[in-house]
Amino acid sequence: MFKLQQGNLNAFMATLSSGRTVYALSQVDLQYHLVRAEAWDGDQHLLGSYRPVEPLKGLFFPPRETVGRLREDSPLPEMRERIVIGVKNCDLSALKIHDYVFLECEPRDPFYAQAREKTVIISCDCTDARESCFCPAVDEQPYARAGFDINLSPIGDGFIVEPGSEKGEALLDRAGDMLSPVSQDDLSKRDANRYAVTRRVAEQAEGRGLTTGADLQAAVRASEDADMWDVFARDCVECGACNFVCCTCHCFLLADGSSPAGGDSRVKKWDSCLYHNFARVAGGANPRKHRADRLFNRFDKKFVFFPEVLGRYACDGCGRCAEACTGKIDIRDVLKKALDGQ
Amino acid sequence: MDNNPYIPVPAKLVDVVEETHNIKTFVVEPVRPIVFEAGQFVEMTVPGYGEAPFTPSSSPAVSDRMEITVMRVGQVTERLHALGPGAELGIRGPLGAPYPLDTFCGREILIVGGGVGLAPLRALLFGLLEHVDRYHRIVLRYGARTPSDIIYRDAVSSGWGQNGKLDVRVCVDEGDADWKGNTGVVTTILEPECLSCDPANGVAVVCGPPIMMKFATLKLLDLGYAPADIYLSMEKNMSCGVGKCGHCRLGRYYACKDGPVFTYDAIESINKIWD
Repeated sequence: MFKLQQGNLNAFMATLSSGRTVYALSQVDLQYHLVRAEAWDGDQHLLGSYRPVEPLKGLFFPPRETVGRLREDSPLPEMRERIVIGVKNCDLSALKIHDYVFLECEPRDPFYAQAREKTVIISCDCTDARESCFCPAVDEQPYARAGFDINLSPIGDGFIVEPGSEKGEALLDRAGDMLSPVSQDDLSKRDANRYAVTRRVAEQAEGRGLTTGADLQAAVRASEDADMWDVFARDCVECGACNFVCCTCHCFLLADGSSPAGGDSRVKKWDSCLYHNFARVAGGANPRKHRADRLFNRFDKKFVFFPEVLGRYACDGCGRCAEACTGKIDIRDVLKKALDGQ
Repeated sequence: MDNNPYIPVPAKLVDVVEETHNIKTFVVEPVRPIVFEAGQFVEMTVPGYGEAPFTPSSSPAVSDRMEITVMRVGQVTERLHALGPGAELGIRGPLGAPYPLDTFCGREILIVGGGVGLAPLRALLFGLLEHVDRYHRIVLRYGARTPSDIIYRDAVSSGWGQNGKLDVRVCVDEGDADWKGNTGVVTTILEPECLSCDPANGVAVVCGPPIMMKFATLKLLDLGYAPADIYLSMEKNMSCGVGKCGHCRLGRYYACKDGPVFTYDAIESINKIWD
């Protein structure tokens, strides 16, 4: 671990991102947005104190991606080296879900694999939280423990810089002249911030009925036949916003159409399990005909299926779905209702 | 890119067999052989229209030519039915898990088909008949709506039954003036007196429309088949076919990857499996 002075941040980022397309955070009012740029710009870009509006997954699993032309062998499109700066732990942990789906479960997805290989991830501890944040309730915390190439922990006059991969270590070698040893005092400041933010988010989640460590898997499983799903589903308009802003949702549709370059092409595009025809088959049978079934299915997938197959929830408490929902269905209220019903 | 799991192998439609008024068998030749085992399925592309999942109905021993029996029910199948020999198609697969034929050895195999659901079972029958001595006995019970809805008519009405290796009985929901066989839903030919099966030493394999699968399963349980010995084709909305897109989830499984064939004990606790 190293110390980086605040005054060296721009030079440090310029060194790390040299030769790479940059994805960084930009602030508009009280929101951060994940934006693409040719280079790190200290006037425009910042590390951000909490997660941006856009989920990180879109860099690896784009909303719409051409996966090939039909009738011919399509090469994998070339991808430039990239760096994403300011990633928060909710988005980073969500990649465990996408890695499982697209890399670990055979066959691997070559498009996702390439995007992962070509992207350096610089994460950063949260120093603040949005009202919708609830990561401690889903066994996460507002700072990264693993999965990053380099993590930055803000500590007042600078940052603690921690490499998390060989790629991260090699990059830090290039910026060695900007780094100095870390003192015990620096570490204490980092831990104090981590503790304070974790406690704050845990308290606001508990204020919504989500106790840290509560067994959400058991609660959601037990709720399957409860009328809570009909009640919440009354406000769902099947817009799919919850799925699209979700950092973990990975469902997609393979669809065929004409490509801009001419000829038939196949695209992989984000799909929503709340859409009426999501599970319908050509003959007309639909195992999830009712909106309540589909709303339950979303929670069942996140809080029952993924714990069973991967040992973790497919929810990192980012709170984006609660903010995006057209019908104002709040995931925290749904989980609380499931917990209360036990 | 050789490892792109989303792109099919080009295939040429070489023949079309009309089975019924809305079911045809398409004979396709992929540019590279596709080796599959009974129970596995493929995604067939109709360029410009999309792709849909089908289980081949031809012998798994043949890899350079595949027969796929398709009912006309949706956009892709509508277009497919309008195509003739020479059309360009695509095949992606094989996908999913095959029937565990090794565990069927020495046992009595009861195959129950309904409507176009006989198609995947035909591939299984070819596989079984290839090594018929390995199995104690093979029984086929098939139900169709009317006599004109029976597919593989020659094989069903005479071919399969005549070689003495297969005990075949067919029923229709509604007969016509010429129909001399059983009339009624398929469970009527699963009565013990017309089955003489030994559930304790047998497995049952079922494929058909959901309502038929449900009542056939209840009947088989009633006859004494163990839930682990009842194999069901749970063909859900399979888009990617490789366990990633999320459409075909069935409890903790994906039908495309862990199935599409499941034993009843694996899925009986899942809500609404017959919908």
